[in-house]
Amino acid sequence: MKKRPFIWFIYPTNLLVAVLSLSVLLWYGADYLTDFYYQQKAEDLEVRARLTGSRVLEAVSGLEGRERVRRVNDLCRELGRSSNMRITVVLQGGEVIGDSEEDPARMDNHAGRPEIRKALGGETGLSLRYSATLEENLMYVAVPLDERPELGVVRVSVPVTSLEQIPRRVLTRFATVSVVVLLAAAGLSFLVARRIVKPLEIMKSGAEELARGKLETRLPVSRWEEIGSLAEEMNRMAASLDDRIRRETSQKNEMEAVLGSMAEGVLALDLKERVLSLNRAARAHLGVRGEDVVGRTMMEVVRNPALHELVVDTLSGKEPVEGEVIFRDREEKYLQVHGTVLRDSGSVAIGALIVMNDVTRLRKLEEIRRDFVANASHEIRTPVTSIKGFVETLLDGALEDKETTERFLEIIGRHADRLNAIVEDLLSLSSIEKVSGREEVSLEERALQEVVEEAIELCRAGARKKDVALKVRCGEDITARVNPSLLVQAVVNLVDNAVKFSLEGGEVEVQCHRRGAIAVIEVRDRGCGIAREDIPRLFERFYRADKARSRELGGTGLGLAIVKHIVQVHGGEVTVDSEIGQGSTFAINLPAASDRPASEGGAGEGVP
Amino acid sequence: MNLQVAREIETLKRAILALGAVVEDSVLKAGKAVVQRDPVLAEEVIAADFKIDQMEVDLEEDGLKVLALHQPVAIDLRFIVAVLRINSDLERIGDLAVNLAERALFLSSRSPVDVPGQFSEMTARAESMLEKSLDSLVNMNVETARSVIAADDEVDLLNREMYRIMYDLIRRDPDRLECFVHLISAARHIERIADHATNIAEDVVYMNTGEIIRHKPEDFREAKD
Repeated sequence: MKKRPFIWFIYPTNLLVAVLSLSVLLWYGADYLTDFYYQQKAEDLEVRARLTGSRVLEAVSGLEGRERVRRVNDLCRELGRSSNMRITVVLQGGEVIGDSEEDPARMDNHAGRPEIRKALGGETGLSLRYSATLEENLMYVAVPLDERPELGVVRVSVPVTSLEQIPRRVLTRFATVSVVVLLAAAGLSFLVARRIVKPLEIMKSGAEELARGKLETRLPVSRWEEIGSLAEEMNRMAASLDDRIRRETSQKNEMEAVLGSMAEGVLALDLKERVLSLNRAARAHLGVRGEDVVGRTMMEVVRNPALHELVVDTLSGKEPVEGEVIFRDREEKYLQVHGTVLRDSGSVAIGALIVMNDVTRLRKLEEIRRDFVANASHEIRTPVTSIKGFVETLLDGALEDKETTERFLEIIGRHADRLNAIVEDLLSLSSIEKVSGREEVSLEERALQEVVEEAIELCRAGARKKDVALKVRCGEDITARVNPSLLVQAVVNLVDNAVKFSLEGGEVEVQCHRRGAIAVIEVRDRGCGIAREDIPRLFERFYRADKARSRELGGTGLGLAIVKHIVQVHGGEVTVDSEIGQGSTFAINLPAASDRPASEGGAGEGVP
Repeated sequence: MNLQVAREIETLKRAILALGAVVEDSVLKAGKAVVQRDPVLAEEVIAADFKIDQMEVDLEEDGLKVLALHQPVAIDLRFIVAVLRINSDLERIGDLAVNLAERALFLSSRSPVDVPGQFSEMTARAESMLEKSLDSLVNMNVETARSVIAADDEVDLLNREMYRIMYDLIRRDPDRLECFVHLISAARHIERIADHATNIAEDVVYMNTGEIIRHKPEDFREAKD
């Protein structure tokens, strides 16, 4: 229903009331005035009638008969002319003996006329009639002569038109004035109506502001009771709404802050697997790209079947659902996922809540540990098994043959040496780890050239055996704060590896240079190289890249782990660059100006 | 749009994405199994194939049911037709993943050979193409789809390179012939997976534009990223 302005109600109503009132007043006034006027006229006529009566009686005293009648008639004519009225004198029987206009002899008996009859009864008679004779409305007033009807009746009459005219003139004038008054009233009442409606309009625009959300708006309070109270109540309502909304917003912000700061990912889904909300951590864990995620189905956002299965299980009511979800795309990621049914305040299930934790690092560490134990056991078991085998063979009877015994014992000795080497390496590694974790390693400023030369010397024998050339390129001026014995050991390990993995007749080059604030020792070989997948795990204990080949070539599998720890103790890092078929370059980067390392990496892989 | 049809289409979309997710997972696992010589992972892939086949059959039946019951027109019709085609492509990719897993099983049972870097490169690209093609399906994004189609050439090139490298390796180390042959096979499987991912991308383009671009790749190639 279309709304119309309120003023269209007030103003016309007002006006209508004014008009009606005035009309009623006017009509009543007119009526009363007319009556009054007639009344006055009647009274006036009565007085005249009496006066005329006394004149008539005066005039005819002493006259008789026909003279009397004639005298009456003449008097009527005279008086009628001078006063502009019609005068008629009628005897008790009804005969007309005198008239100001007509010849009485020709007038019929007037006894029947109502006013005459009344006058003949002794009272004043009044009547309004249409006169056929004169063809107009006349007012008749008749009184008995000298209060004595037996003497006769005198009747006075005037045409009513004049009477009618006068009230009409008055009425017209009144009407004109009324119209003027009405116009003024219209104007005034319009202004008044506006004034009534104005506070409502102010409230309306205030309410509009409130509806638009500007809850600080306050309405002016008018001094009129109802409107003022309304404004006050609305203001109070606005204040309470404002307060409530602020509280809700701050609560919501708090919750968002909590969700946003959590390290755990939180994902809420509805019953149709559509995303209700997703916190920042969940986005990172699930690798969600794109902004408009809310409202889309889970599968659109993250396409992981294991996660999907978990969600389906959760939604089907099995509680609580826990599992591990693996992401294999760019890098491997392990998430521990926990799903519960999401319920609203009435405990009705409205979806699923998924909480996830990134356990990749944990799993990776577990994997390293597992591999280490497996590798270590294998490394140790092999020589032990061999030794056992040979011992049993000897006990079985080979002891008889001296040559065989000698040979076997040599083999056993070699295996024992190997075991020894493994144990030594393990011990040395663990001692380095311990040291780097707690005590401080003594560092002194030394020329790297010395360290390198010493290491090369230790490796010369092995290199010569394989006919691998060792080259050194190291400036005398390159120095660093080092622990000489440890660093020599590290370089020896690297050069040993380089020689081991080089082809016969190949070449290994050791080079030092400075790159800014860092002193670099590079060991380069042109051997078979290392596969890309192996590089991240290269420095793990017992990790062998190409398992078959490197075991053949000997070694304990701990060399690189030792290098890594030694370098870390120096506050530096070791890097490797390699390509299959081309060779490898290992680089030890040492800070030239040593700041004491915080060395958390040293004790990091706390493997038993 | 008829509400009933809209709901059915939602369901179909969910189903094809679910299938896509399982197939994607299988491909990733199979690729890793070959390179890391992991028989456990390979077995998982082979076991998952049953589920993939089941999902493919269900999806086909549901799609046909919608066509029969509701006779959709215009974009809805294109959508369902494209979904049925993608369904079949995904199932084929699933089978190829199984083939790859079988190669992994063989390779893991023998002593390791050097896997050329190109193989990992191919695998990575094929996986990315599959992922992007499914992304383009989710977002109805024609650009992404076209980029997948454009990426297929590189994979083909890498495959040819692989052949050359393998021939070389066979000549140098004939004892390991069996492994090399399996590797060649594996590379071919990857190349086929990339082709099917391209098909999926073409179907997405069709779904959105109504154009069938299957046999005119030159017209629709975009600048490579």
